[in-house]
Amino acid sequence: MNLFHPGARVIDAATGETLTEDMIEAAAAALASEPGGVVFHPFETTLPSIARYLAAFRLGRPIVLLDPDGDHAALAERFSTTEVHPDLALLLTTSGSTGNPKLVRLSAGAVRTNAEQIASVLGITGESVAVTTLPLFYSYGMSVLNSYLLTGATVVLERTGIMQRDFWTAVNEHGVTSMAFVPSQYEMLRRLRFDPAKYPTLRTLTQAGGRLRAELVTDFAQRMATVGGSLYVMYGQTEAAPRMATLPPDRLAEKAGSVGLALPGGAFAIEDDEVVYRGPNVMMGYADTAADLALGDVQGGALHTGDLGRIDDEGFLFITGRIKRMGKVFGVRINLDDVEKNFPVTAVAGDDKLVVFAEGISDDEARGLRAKIAEWLGTHFSGVVVRSVDALPLLPNGKTDYRALESSL
Amino acid sequence: MSDLQRLREAFRTALDLPADAPVDDLQYQDNEKWDSLAHMSLVAAIEDEFSVMIDTDDVINMSSFAEATRILGKYGVDFNE
Repeated sequence: MNLFHPGARVIDAATGETLTEDMIEAAAAALASEPGGVVFHPFETTLPSIARYLAAFRLGRPIVLLDPDGDHAALAERFSTTEVHPDLALLLTTSGSTGNPKLVRLSAGAVRTNAEQIASVLGITGESVAVTTLPLFYSYGMSVLNSYLLTGATVVLERTGIMQRDFWTAVNEHGVTSMAFVPSQYEMLRRLRFDPAKYPTLRTLTQAGGRLRAELVTDFAQRMATVGGSLYVMYGQTEAAPRMATLPPDRLAEKAGSVGLALPGGAFAIEDDEVVYRGPNVMMGYADTAADLALGDVQGGALHTGDLGRIDDEGFLFITGRIKRMGKVFGVRINLDDVEKNFPVTAVAGDDKLVVFAEGISDDEARGLRAKIAEWLGTHFSGVVVRSVDALPLLPNGKTDYRALESSL
Repeated sequence: MSDLQRLREAFRTALDLPADAPVDDLQYQDNEKWDSLAHMSLVAAIEDEFSVMIDTDDVINMSSFAEATRILGKYGVDFNE
């Protein structure tokens, strides 16, 4: 597979250097001289790192994308093998650094198809310019890179992020037309009093990586509308390479709360309240062991998302909760998302208890919160545990690291 | 506590550094804990500690401890007293 369209450009904002065909060929030659099998790739936001990523695809070597700041010795040992299925191109982890992550097995066809689907719905052309706002080992960040490279568009590599002057200088210097953010970054942008008029080339903001609260969806859609631009709300999972739906900006106001329509070639269904996606970009399956990397497709193009949802008569999908975000208190099922919607806490399922975390609250506040939540649930207060933490653990993508919280119980 | 000490404390708290950690030479992203999320906490901590509202341009210009002292100077916090 070749993801690098001849017209595509990758520019390092700090050095001005661009990615060349020679760099990819050199990376391919280096990779070919290394032992075969799976390539473990701490994915930095640099030209050499992208050259190696593209080289692995060209050589048909399955590549595992990893956080460059993490220690992956155990994972590399667990999945080290030369026995790999010929369709396998890309492996992504399903969680952050904690625990024993499964790998998502993606075929070259799924990766390429999803990049094409995204380019199509977002209207990416050879004139489009993206800037890195997310880690490239994270599926959302990777999908921006893939869809721009495949379309012959431009990707600007920037490593300091939206809280720094260098980032915004690069946005204007390179004429960035689109930026991709997760909800925590929209909170930052609001704090920064983000004004798109300061960035005359900017046309599009995209949002994925979890639900953005309705107030911010409306807020940023309006900010972009004042300069003739748009906000695209999107929905995906790593298991779908990763995008499944986008909400057309001209329907955003009337379809408030929706994550949009299935991508071209994909379709949603609701089965036992669960959102099921079918499409050419669904993974081949998970891998728990090295032996699983030799397996073919076990999904048949269908992904049970674990999300609860409904579809309206025009095909717009609304996510209403998460099946796995359920807990039990005294044997009664409770929706952890509902707890979080009603109280300023982060909720996880303990052993027949609801455990909630709140940042920096006093003992008295914790006691009060415990009583209120128990009353709301209609349960005895001993079924609710409130813990004060200095700061909630976060994944590299800015989402709450629920696994870390669960493992702290 | 002097203003300088208060600023050092704000940095240590926001970046989750030990109580005796030297911070005067810190640069954004030089320290692995000073990322964009920590930067938001840091700005909030400084605003609370010195009862100021920091402008957007100053938030994104605050790329080092030294720069933070310079910026706070504009808001009437004088570290040379």
